[in-house]
Formats: sequence, structure tokens, C-alpha cells
Amino acid sequence: MAEVKILTEFYHLPEYQTLAGYQAKGGYETVPKALKMQAQQIIDEVKASGLRGRGGAGFPTGMKWGFLPKNGEPRYLLCNADEGEPGTFKDRMMMERAPHQLIEGMIISAFAIGSHKGYIYVRGEYVYPIECLNKAIQEAYAAGLLGKNILGSGFDFDLDVYRGAGAYICGEETGMISSLEGLKGQPKLKPPFPAVQGYLRKPTIVNNVETLAAVTYIIRDGAQAYRKNGTEKSSGTKLFSVSGNVVKPGNYEVPLGYPLMNLIMNECGGMKPGRKLKAVIPGGSSAPVLTAEEVAKANMDYESLAGLGTMLGSGAVIVIDDSQCMVDMLGVLTHFYAHESCGQCTPCREGTGWLNKILHAILEGRGRLQDIELLIKVADNMKGKTICALSDAAALPVLSFVNKFREEFEFYVREGRSKVKGTTYAEMHH
Amino acid sequence: MPKCTINGKEVEVKEGSSIIEAMQVSGDRIAHYCWHPGLSVAGVCRVCMVEIEGNPRVQIACNTAVTEGMKINNTSDKVKDAVKWGLDFHLINHPLDCPICDQAGECGLQDQYMEYGKYDPEMAEPKQKKHKVVDLGPTIVLDSERCILCSRCVRFTEEVSKTNELGIFNRGDRSEIGTHDGMKLDNNYSLNTVDICPVGALTSKDFRFRQRAWYLKDAETICNGCSTGCNVKVYFNKEGFFRVKPTFNEQVNGHWMCDEGRNVYKFVNKEHRLLKAQVKGQGSSWTEMSAGAAAKAAAEVIKAAAADSLALVLTAQYSVEEFEAIVTTFVKDFKSNKIYFWINNKEAFDNFDGLLVRGDKNPNTKGLLKVLEKHGITATWNELSRGLKSGAIKTVVVAAPENQVVFPDFADRVKELSQAQNLIWLQSGQNEALKKLDGNVWLIPMKTFVEKDGTFINHSGLEQKFKKVTLVVSEALTLTEAALLLAGKNLNIHATSANEFLPLNQRLDQVAVEARKKNEFVFKRGNL
Repeated sequence: MAEVKILTEFYHLPEYQTLAGYQAKGGYETVPKALKMQAQQIIDEVKASGLRGRGGAGFPTGMKWGFLPKNGEPRYLLCNADEGEPGTFKDRMMMERAPHQLIEGMIISAFAIGSHKGYIYVRGEYVYPIECLNKAIQEAYAAGLLGKNILGSGFDFDLDVYRGAGAYICGEETGMISSLEGLKGQPKLKPPFPAVQGYLRKPTIVNNVETLAAVTYIIRDGAQAYRKNGTEKSSGTKLFSVSGNVVKPGNYEVPLGYPLMNLIMNECGGMKPGRKLKAVIPGGSSAPVLTAEEVAKANMDYESLAGLGTMLGSGAVIVIDDSQCMVDMLGVLTHFYAHESCGQCTPCREGTGWLNKILHAILEGRGRLQDIELLIKVADNMKGKTICALSDAAALPVLSFVNKFREEFEFYVREGRSKVKGTTYAEMHH
Repeated sequence: MPKCTINGKEVEVKEGSSIIEAMQVSGDRIAHYCWHPGLSVAGVCRVCMVEIEGNPRVQIACNTAVTEGMKINNTSDKVKDAVKWGLDFHLINHPLDCPICDQAGECGLQDQYMEYGKYDPEMAEPKQKKHKVVDLGPTIVLDSERCILCSRCVRFTEEVSKTNELGIFNRGDRSEIGTHDGMKLDNNYSLNTVDICPVGALTSKDFRFRQRAWYLKDAETICNGCSTGCNVKVYFNKEGFFRVKPTFNEQVNGHWMCDEGRNVYKFVNKEHRLLKAQVKGQGSSWTEMSAGAAAKAAAEVIKAAAADSLALVLTAQYSVEEFEAIVTTFVKDFKSNKIYFWINNKEAFDNFDGLLVRGDKNPNTKGLLKVLEKHGITATWNELSRGLKSGAIKTVVVAAPENQVVFPDFADRVKELSQAQNLIWLQSGQNEALKKLDGNVWLIPMKTFVEKDGTFINHSGLEQKFKKVTLVVSEALTLTEAALLLAGKNLNIHATSANEFLPLNQRLDQVAVEARKKNEFVFKRGNL
């Protein structure tokens, strides 16, 4: 078993970016088919496919669509392309290589949920993907694939790109909605959930780029065909962004349930020469880290990783070899979360800053032995106490790093230098 | 009407109530900072944690709706631990300078710390530095380091005053409250943000550092700043009155009051008051005497006067009972129906700002009109003017306003009324215009609204009773007492020093204001 290219089949073709190139490979053929179906049929098909949100939480997409109120209220389809999770770069490639694939998926999804207006919220740093999307949307409008009366079906759908300013928190769906409304990007209190009251207080569905793109293939080939890949509960294929100390980092599309070790050893060409695998963060920086022994047991699906106490997240696999200092790496993560916490809920606002201060005290040689216990206590009490999951995202790596690599932390506190590198923080970072 | 169980007690609440609202009904204590009954739910402080049976995680009470049969508990160890940690997160960057913080004694953090905390801090790192002494506007100063970012003040300006001056700027633990570009926190409701601030972040320029909270007593009364009649608490001690805060009354003012009304404590204080009666004859100088003696002397003049040369001028600043007493005295005893209503700012009378403030700056216009109507009095001010000019009206009794600020025509009216031969002027405060009076004048000190019991009828006809709070000028009379004395009845007014306010130089518990200046410590930047 190796790569199974469903979404990424033609990504190597430069012309796949254009409408003509996309249509030459069967693009937009599913739109007329979908527009002839009943909206409910599409929702049922997506439900039957077992497609789960590819953005991070892994919530069943069909079920999410089913939460919409069954009335004629206007509703919005938002595509979450904020891709802020450190280590993730799959959406970027999808928008650069195949912007039409996303647009096609959005047309079909919008038809299914009865939305006539969609936005693609892209993080501000993604200048080139935004260019690609804008160009593709123009092409689609010119070809009658967007706008009024799509392909003569009577269905209207308008699509715009909204450029964010590059905040991690705007990748959280209600934070994204706030930002899109022109407010400060801060998550909203739930309930009400976006499906009931979202963008402009109207029912709203927020899906990830990869999720929406996959809808096309589910409708084209049917739910059963989609289910051929993956496991019972984690169906289909998924793009994994592999980074770190491997020979060939990059995006790889493999069926869910694919062994993590195979992904590293086969697709990515193994570890860099002479290096040993030490740890892997399997689902973006907020997923708890796995040790080398755990990696050998891990399959890349929601259940297997949950069984190991971590998560699939956005599919960002960060591979760490034996030359890396875990204390230093965690310092990078705590700094990131302290910087990105929106500051709304107290445990997260104060907790992320506190964790970062403790960690940098350790890194700069001012650590106390009780600080290690304190890190765990603080992180433990940040979990599950806030409006959104950023607090958990900041706490989980701390808990897993400290618990699984405790001797590195203890060594650092005692000696004031890294166990792995043998150097102090100042020396490590010049 | 769902029923739920809170800490073992069964409570029935309104449909759609949140758990925290249910706990207000059941009377259970629950820690909270961001939730306020008059504002929307923010759910950000994360300390109103409760345990709900069947739910493994603790939940916030402010954003969880009560459902039928819900079993809620906020006394378990799990909840206490969650609240303790919620409090700890609030405190790690909060300055521990309670002794010099103006909020000390009435601070949400102190209260909760005593209940859930009492532990040593574990934070060894330096605290976050933020802006101190930020001048937000003409009424308020902000200390960002003390702020716990509960967003109550921001929501207040968004939802209640609808002026939108405030926002939270920056992110994470660098977040700070501030005003939007080019704006000042300058609206007639701004001081409510100080009331709802659970910590010492927002302080009122008028009140800050003038008294410690624990040296103040409070009592409920009715604001006499306008015809809305907001329910308020006045805060005072033996040195005087120091502030006014609103109390909840759904029918009248909800949770709020205006900034204008917060000044009503000022004219009550001794330094603005008439302490003794002042009496003078034509061409002679003022003689000081007790209020009772002055009133008795004035009674002789009234007795000698013909009924049709006697007039009474009333302002709508006294209670219904007092109006009744003095009008009855005039009509029954003096056989005079020359009773006139001194209306201050007539053109603005019906103004209303849509929230609380009304153009009628008297607390009891409706009450006065009711009494006048009862006695069939229809006299107009023009008749009085004519009577004064022609000399037909020789003796005038004036129940002058206690809140002089809202009487822009005060000096003009004094001038007009001074045409009378005998002027009996009843007033609580001092005024320059009165000192210049010539002729036969009896200036008699009156009590203010905090020194007597009574009733005000507000703009909507709602009768609101208020109770005596304390005694400021023991000699001063109420209008009822004045009516009896003027009618020649015997009434002993005892001057007592038992409850009197202290002069400033006898302050026992704090450094006197004059001495404070001399002993001021000046810390220069960089010296510490």
C-alpha cells in the first residue's frame, strides 16, 4: 500500500490550475450531476461516505450539515483556508495547484445545504494561493459556473475570497466568523453553534479546504467508492504535510489508517542519514507528541491516534530526530501559543503566558525543579476550561513533552543546558 | 418553568434561565466576574464553574441553560479546585498592591481569594507590565495592570450607553482596555463602568483616594437629580457624603444611573450648607440665630400681615408630605391661596435621553402638582410678578431648591422676589445671591433629602418612599417643621452634636486634606 491519489491525481500538471486544464481532466463534470440531484440526496451521500472534517477536529461533515435549521433562512458556506496550525501546508498546495477543485466542491456543497453565498477565508500570508483562487473564481464566473443560474439549473451561488490578517485564532471557526464580520478575531461563545447562528447571525457551515474538495469525489464516484479507502470509521484518503528531519518532506495523500512508520520510511524516504527517530507530532503542533516506540504502533486514522492519546488534527506530521532538544522545541511552541492566544478567556490568556515564562526561565538557566511539576499543573488546569480549543492546544503539547521526555527537562533544570545538544539556550540560538 | 436542583435544593426558574440566574433565585453563592445581570453573556472569566450531574466536565453557569431535572452543584471539591485555578489565573499578573488600591475592601478578587484562595502564589516570573493611570476621559482613570479583562465596561458602552468608546486592544496577556482612536470615554453614563468593574481598574476621578471603602456606611434613598427618581445608595461617614451608586429597580432605573445624578451628594455636605439662620432688617447687617428662633420671628410678621398680601413660592424639590403641610398651613391657617410654582427650566421639561435622564430636574414635580390640584390652587407666576411689582404682595415665603445647579434662573428669581417687603427664604444651601439681599430677610436653613423621610412621585406617577439616612445640620428644619413654626405653633428644635459631621481638621482616621499636601511623598521615576 502506498500513496492513493484521489485529490492530488493531477497536481503535477501546471495547467491543472486553469479552468481549461482542470476541465480536460474531468473537472466540473460533477456539478451538473449534483445540481440534478435532491439536496438531501447529496447530504445523505456525504453522510454515507463517512467523510470527516479535515481541518483538525474530525467532525463528520454530513452530520454537521444536518444541524442546519430546516427552513428557508439565508445561510452561508464558509471555507476555512486559514491553515494556521504549525506544520500544516496541505491547503496551500491545494489552492495553488487546483483552485477549481475547491470551487467545484463548494458549488456542490452549497447546493446541498441551500446556500447562495460563500466565502473562502484565506490567511493573509498566502499571497500566491489568493491570487490563484481569485483567478479561478473569475474563470468560473465567466464560464457560468458561479453566479446566477449556474449551468441553467436555476441555482445561484456567489463566491468571494476574504483575506485574513494572519492570526492563528481565526482558524477556529467562530473566530473566523468574527473576523469575517469585521470584528476582532475572537471565538464566540457556544451555544449557539454556527449551524444555528453563525456569520451575521445566520446559519453557517464552515468546512476545511480538503473537506470541501473531497465532496466532489464522493458525489462523482459515490459514497461506497469513497469508502474503499481508509478504515471503517476513518474513511477516504487524507493529505499529510510531513516536515522535520526526513529525507523528502512534503504533502502526501494516503488512505486513512496508513501506518505512520510507512509514511516516514517509504513516502518520505526515511530519516536523514545517520539520524534516529526520536519523536513525531502526528497532527499539527497542538497534538500530543509520540515517542519512537509509539510511532511504530501508530496508524494515521482518528481512532488509532486517539488510542495513543494524541490526535490526527490537521494532518501535519512533524518528525523529530535524536539531535533535537525537546525543551527547546517546547519553548518554540509555548511562545507561539502565548503570542496567538486571543486573550478572551482568562485561563488561556494568563496560562499561555505563564507556561511560556516558566519554559523560558528553564531555557535560560533560571529553572527550579518544581517548575516541571508546575508546568504540568498549569497545563492541566487550562484544559477544557475555555470557549475554544486554543487553551487545550497550548496545554496538550506541554503535558506530552514533559511527561514523555521528563529526563531532558530535569537535566536542563539541573545543568542549565540541553541534554541533547550540550549547549545553553544562548549558544543554541546564538 | 423548569425545575432543577441546586446544591440539593429544588428551585423552579423561568424558561430559558441560565444556571447563574437560577442561583440568584435560589440564593446560592457563585463566583463570577464577567457576568452581570444587566449585560449580555461573555463567558470569558471562567470562574462560575458548576458540576452538572451526568457531565464529566465542569461547565460555566452563565452560558448553560437550566433544563428540567438538572442536578447542579457548585460546592464539590472538583468545582472548588476549578474556581481556585480560575482565580489563580486572574491573579498571576494582577498587582498585589491592595493597600494602595482604591477598590480594596469591595474588590471581587479579594472576596473570592478569601473564599477559594488563601494559598501562596506559585508564579515566580515577573508580572506582565501594562499602562498605569490611563486618562480615559473626564470622569475615569484606568489602571490596565489591575484589569482582569472581564469586558463588562466594553459591553456596557456597546449595549447600554451605546456610545462604543471602549474596546480591548492587543492579544493574549498583552490585552488592554482602551478607547478607540480619537475617542474619550465621555458620556453621561460613564461612571456605571466604575460600578461594574469588579476590580480596581476603573476608578472615578471624583471618588478615588478620598475614602477607604471600609470607612463608609451606605443607605438606600432616591436620587433627587431629576424626575426619573433612580434608586440609589449614598455612601457616607462622619466626614460627609462621598459618592452615589445605583441600586437595582427594574421599574425605574434597572441597574444604572447617570453621571449627573452622582453629584447629588455634593450639596448635602456641610461645607455647602447653611448652618445657622441669618436674619436682617432693612439697611442693617446680618444677625445669626437658630433656625427655630428665626422661624418664630418670621411667624410674627406673617401673623401681622393681611391674608391677601401673603404669598408662598414652592419648588418641586421637597417631599409630598412637606408640600401637603405647608400648603395646608397657607390655605387653612393663613387663608391665602397665593401659592406659586417656581418652574426652573421650563423649555427642557419634557426632554428625555431615551435611557434615564429627564429634562425635568426636580424629583417631585408630579407630587407638587398633585398637592396643588388637591387644594384647588391655580395661581400662575405672572400673577405673582404683577403682585410684587404693584406692592400688593408684601410677604413671601420661598421654599427654595436644595439642588441649586439645576436652577439656572436662581439669581434672577431672587432679584424678582426681593421686591417683597418681607422675604422668608427657606433653603438648605448657601448662595452668593442671597447674601446680597437687602430688606427684611429671614434666611432659614432647611434639611436635604438625605435627612428626612418622605415620598417623591416620579415622572411616571410612581410613588417612591425614602428614609432618613443621617443628620448633617442638626438645626435645619424640614418644610413640615417650618410650616408649623410659621403658623405660630410651638415646636422645640434641639440642636444636637450627637450625629454631626466632623470638621475636616478633626478627622480621626485619616490624614487631613491640608496635611496631606504637606506630607506628600514624591517618587521620581528611576529612584525606586
